[in-house]
Amino acid sequence: MTYQKAHLDELDRIPVDQGLEWRPVRRRFGIQAFGVNAYTAEKVGACVVEEHTETTSGHQELYVVVRGRARFTLGDEETDAPAGTLVFFSDPAVKRGAVAEEEGTVVLAVGAKPGEAFTPSGWEWSFAAAEQEPEEAVATMRDGIETLGESAPGLYHLARHELRAGRRDEAKEHLVRAIELDPGFRTYADEADDLKELL
Amino acid sequence: MSYRATHLDQIEKRDTWIPIREHFGIGAFGTNAYRAKEAGEAVIGEHSELMAKHEELYAVVSGHATFTVDGDEIDAPAGTLVFVSDPAARRGAVAKEAGTTVLVVGATPGKAFEVSPWEESWREGQDAMALYREQRYAEAADVLREAVQRFPDSAGLFYNLACFDSMAGAEPAAVAASLSRSIELFPGFRDYAREDSDFEPVRNEPAFEELLEVTS
Repeated sequence: MTYQKAHLDELDRIPVDQGLEWRPVRRRFGIQAFGVNAYTAEKVGACVVEEHTETTSGHQELYVVVRGRARFTLGDEETDAPAGTLVFFSDPAVKRGAVAEEEGTVVLAVGAKPGEAFTPSGWEWSFAAAEQEPEEAVATMRDGIETLGESAPGLYHLARHELRAGRRDEAKEHLVRAIELDPGFRTYADEADDLKELL
Repeated sequence: MSYRATHLDQIEKRDTWIPIREHFGIGAFGTNAYRAKEAGEAVIGEHSELMAKHEELYAVVSGHATFTVDGDEIDAPAGTLVFVSDPAARRGAVAKEAGTTVLVVGATPGKAFEVSPWEESWREGQDAMALYREQRYAEAADVLREAVQRFPDSAGLFYNLACFDSMAGAEPAAVAASLSRSIELFPGFRDYAREDSDFEPVRNEPAFEELLEVTS
């Protein structure tokens, strides 16, 4: 297949948090050269880009408000972003997020790391697993690790779902391994109600 | 500046091209938008990605377009995404509404992104083409002769330099040298040259014939 087509409204809807819905684009098309996803918020005030940094991935990110209106947080600043607005973050350490100011706001996000060939991020699998039943979520995370290889984020989220599935020993083993690979995940685990008891 | 917000309408356009990557200084992937003024106008010029080998994702941000990919027509109202994985696929789009805007993202799988030479040398290319259209071939060639000093790996600039020199009546050896460099950078130009009427003045010259004899 040399090409594929989909309308934004036809993409899968995966609820994430605070009204944010992930609409997988890269996974849908099998894109290998860059990261790209859409996010929607049906209600005013709902999250349309979750607050985060790109410190782990080192990605530059471009957000495009395709429909509706959002209020972006860029570090300590805020900016109004009606449809057609582009918001670019060159520094992975800058905290970013966005809240919908109109119903049905859609934001397209593109990301990759300068100077490196793109590899998909483990969070795609963790987002997909977020709303799944525990055993299905464990299978999704294992698929991610098989596809991408061992990574701290992948193992961290695998541990989370293993704990949900009652696989406490495996969860502990994978969490310890995640922290070995990236000690920063120790902080995440310490702050997570579910995982902190494993440490 | 580690972050910036801009509306598409605030970026200075170059014909239909809205140079997003350059505006922000993005170094991780290629991205641009294109806006057609009128219905019926090309919003994405027909092309392949054989040179850059990019995967490309097109997003219709506003308006309505008809894409053509390898002869298949694709109706694309606002919100449509068209992903072309095969660099060899011929693709283009025509606006069905005035102001139709298409965002495109591109990069090569398995390879760190590099800015495409056409993007960096766009101004020189446009200036040279304007002179070419006025049949001021020698002047057009001079613009590109200077440009290739700055962009020595731009297959397209070398190819057009060969075309313009040919039309200007330059020495066949000079035409062949530029064409040879363009083919070295992108072998597909050998086939283009076989059909390109710009090379009629040198078509029977031994240096030119020798270049095109090699099976591509």
